[in-house]
Amino acid sequence: MDLSVVGRNLPYLAAAFALTLQTAALVIAGGTVTGLLLGLARDAGLSAVRGAAALYIGLIRGTPLLVVVFVVYFALPALIGHRFTAYQAAVVGFIAFIAAYIAEDVRSGMRSVPRGQIEAGLASGLARGQVLRLVVLPQAIRRMIPALFNQFVRLLKFTSVASVIGVTELTGATLAVNAREFKPLPLLTALALAYFLACYALSLLGRWLNRRYAIAS
Amino acid sequence: MTYSFDWGVLWRYREQLVGGFSLTLALSVLGLAGALGVGVLAGASAESERRWPRGIAAAYIEIARNVPLLVHLYFWYLGLTALRLPAFWCGVLGLGLYSGAYVAEIVRSGLQGVPAGQRAAGLASGLSRRQILRHIVYPQALRIVAPSLAGLFSQLIKDSSLASVISVAELTFVAGAIEGDTFRTFEAYIGITVLYLVAVTAISQITLWTLRSRIVEPAMQY
Repeated sequence: MDLSVVGRNLPYLAAAFALTLQTAALVIAGGTVTGLLLGLARDAGLSAVRGAAALYIGLIRGTPLLVVVFVVYFALPALIGHRFTAYQAAVVGFIAFIAAYIAEDVRSGMRSVPRGQIEAGLASGLARGQVLRLVVLPQAIRRMIPALFNQFVRLLKFTSVASVIGVTELTGATLAVNAREFKPLPLLTALALAYFLACYALSLLGRWLNRRYAIAS
Repeated sequence: MTYSFDWGVLWRYREQLVGGFSLTLALSVLGLAGALGVGVLAGASAESERRWPRGIAAAYIEIARNVPLLVHLYFWYLGLTALRLPAFWCGVLGLGLYSGAYVAEIVRSGLQGVPAGQRAAGLASGLSRRQILRHIVYPQALRIVAPSLAGLFSQLIKDSSLASVISVAELTFVAGAIEGDTFRTFEAYIGITVLYLVAVTAISQITLWTLRSRIVEPAMQY
């Protein structure tokens, strides 16, 4: 297999790879924060908040990512009168999508904290917010590391879907190069290798963090 | 909000929607069959005592899982154009090999979930390795993995939407076509969202139900 086509287009492809990594970092941060809030809302005291969060999570988890991205890019503008750029739509879509999955991980992480600890916290005079912040979340987050990194790796792979609405991240850029050079096999092999390295590195980071911070149960 | 809805558009395009929905189901079912075949083989090999099968299975699982599904699909559709596979079968292959890695991981965790003492007990009571797998390990492992498998199946249905990108006229592709014809973007995508929800809910309930009713309770643990 002749990989020179990759070498010839390396600056362009490397810039696109950087965009992929940058997008992944952005949606990982955005998705984690949104997912955390959504997970907390799912177990909120107010039943209206709880119901709305449950509805949102159920709806998103039953919908393909591609459809969510299409809705944000094509359908939402008609409703809200604001048109996103393709890149913005992809980022909003990814965050809206993954938040529903992270919310469920957050909930199961929080439930893994024994009830007695919450009661002990309340009994020793901490406010509910303090119990959440000082007792529950620090332990829950440490238990959530494997599940969270699963979602992060998924997100990194998902960024390829942005190419469908015309974002020239790594997949989009590779297809553009292929349209000019028509060397699909070397280009796609290099593409797969790039994603593999990035995803594998991310999951190794997750395993390392988990070894370091996991709570023995 | 200045948008006025016209849900009638879904009824006018019912034939295309039904066609797309059937194609989505066909893709998912065939992809699932492939994923189960590859996944069970790879999952069992990953737990094998011999080095070669273990190494090959581990390599397959890591590579397939760490490459986006879209790239899998393009690989079959664009990369191997020489094979001239129809887009639909590229979709099936891509979905099957991608999800197979996840099935393998599920199978592995199921096998590991059966206490080692039970295999030892099987050996001690004179069963062969094959008998132990068939009568002791698999029935219990199946029960352990039932919920994860149900989750994976619904994931696969949703993932099949990406086949629209390689021009398979499944549900998401049909929504795009309706949108192109009528500019009824919102109705088209909400319509297919409902169809996906129905399919996903149905398939995970069916999976859980069939697996639960056909397998034994896990043995008591001491």
